[in-house]
Amino acid sequence: MSFDVIKSGFFSLIEDYGRFGFARYGLSQSGVADEHAYCWANHLLDNHFNDAVLEITFGSCELKALDAMSIAVTGADLGFRVNGSPQPLWQVINVQTGDTLTWSTAKSGIRSYLAVKGGFQSEPLFNSKSVNVRENIGSQLKNGDLLSCQADTKNRAHRVVPSEFIPDYQQRLTLRVLPSYQFDLFEEPQKEHFLNQRYTVSSASDRTGCRLDGRAMTDVQARMISEGICYGSVEITTEGLPIILLKDSPTMGGYPKIATVFSLDLAKLAQRQSGCEVTFESIDIETAQQKRHEFNAFFAINIR
Amino acid sequence: MATIKLAGENAIIIYFGEQAAPELADQIAFYTQQLLDSLGDVIIDVVPSYTSLMISYRLNLVSHYDFCDQVEQVLSNSTVAPSEANSNLIEIPVYYGLEVGLDLDGLLTDKGLSLEEFIAIHSSKTYLVYAIGFSPAFAFLGKVDDRISVSRLACPRIKIPAGSIGIADNQTAVYPITSSGGWNIIGRTPLDLSLNKPENIKRFSVGDRVRFMPISQEKYCSLGGIL
Repeated sequence: MSFDVIKSGFFSLIEDYGRFGFARYGLSQSGVADEHAYCWANHLLDNHFNDAVLEITFGSCELKALDAMSIAVTGADLGFRVNGSPQPLWQVINVQTGDTLTWSTAKSGIRSYLAVKGGFQSEPLFNSKSVNVRENIGSQLKNGDLLSCQADTKNRAHRVVPSEFIPDYQQRLTLRVLPSYQFDLFEEPQKEHFLNQRYTVSSASDRTGCRLDGRAMTDVQARMISEGICYGSVEITTEGLPIILLKDSPTMGGYPKIATVFSLDLAKLAQRQSGCEVTFESIDIETAQQKRHEFNAFFAINIR
Repeated sequence: MATIKLAGENAIIIYFGEQAAPELADQIAFYTQQLLDSLGDVIIDVVPSYTSLMISYRLNLVSHYDFCDQVEQVLSNSTVAPSEANSNLIEIPVYYGLEVGLDLDGLLTDKGLSLEEFIAIHSSKTYLVYAIGFSPAFAFLGKVDDRISVSRLACPRIKIPAGSIGIADNQTAVYPITSSGGWNIIGRTPLDLSLNKPENIKRFSVGDRVRFMPISQEKYCSLGGIL
């Protein structure tokens, strides 16, 4: 069972839930940028939560199915079609041998997820199939690649994600943050500035970090001794603007950090195009853990 | 004593001091191992660094406050004095030649040292691994002797060959893979430290000791070094 890669697209990567246990040796967490869309895609096919998917960023991707199989496509609306006819997202669909799957351009959101039964079968490196281009671990999809997957003999039931779980990626976004790291070292006016500011997503954002544009905070403390960074940490650069550190971020950094974004909001951020308005509001640790716990329980995630 | 701060919804950071120092690095390496031994079931990742240790954990199994309590317990119950004797010594052969030490010529002039003097200063010291990061298996080693300490290049190089040895301020390091960077390049090791050999990922751990062994051009080439 497999797909031929006719057009690789702007930036398409095999990703799974992430790479764990190697941060002390400098390896990033890596893994899918949008855990919400990813988990639903695997869930629709009764996959394991860690099964590898194809993360297609911005589109321009074309695959040819070499076998008949069930798939699920979730996340951004990148104009997904099969043999030229538009297909629904967030549900199981069946493709036939020889079908052409295409993703054209980003209509809403940024990243589309293609899941197949059992996940894509690439070779794991350091316990994960996630590609990390910055670390030179695996490589982005290339024209002519073969994407192999397990044989799927069962006839899959038609399953659809309930509409209340399908996000609208055009909406402005409020990111819930936990006060963390150097929060106490920031002055009151600086904290207020951070929590009351309307920022916009900068076009200089990628899987390493999301940069925000807006009015800069003044008198930010200089760089400090480098320390471990966790997913969602918000660095305030010397220029006074936030960078939210994401899955491909290095494991250490030396800018002061004011807060850490709640992970399920990072999934939403992963789909916001540049120029989208972003604000921050506080969440407490009990609430954040409870919400994440519910998410983990529903999708049977045991790593986090 | 140690201060614990929240780092994320399933992560904390422990600060052991304010300034990087050899005793602190040994202490952090020791407590990292103690915590992994005691709380390995709930720990996902650890990132020891100059003055701190970040830990992520399974929030499915333990809450933030319970995890902080457990960490405090382990820290207060660990009484064994950390010492250098527990750490690994790693030897790295280096050819300090002008054709591979891209900044060596200028550095010798600036510092008023002969090549022999420079090699003796850099290779006579045993360095300590203070942190690993920037890129996979990139170990930050200190402290470099003041006589050869030099600030980063004003403009980073686009391409530093794999195996290059660099100096930045009072730190030194080996570039495991070809990458960009602003460190002053003083030599190269013939060893393949890249992740083409997956076992290389664990070559350095925080708290390890590293020594650079000067080798001749012939030896460098015979060990597979490229000029």
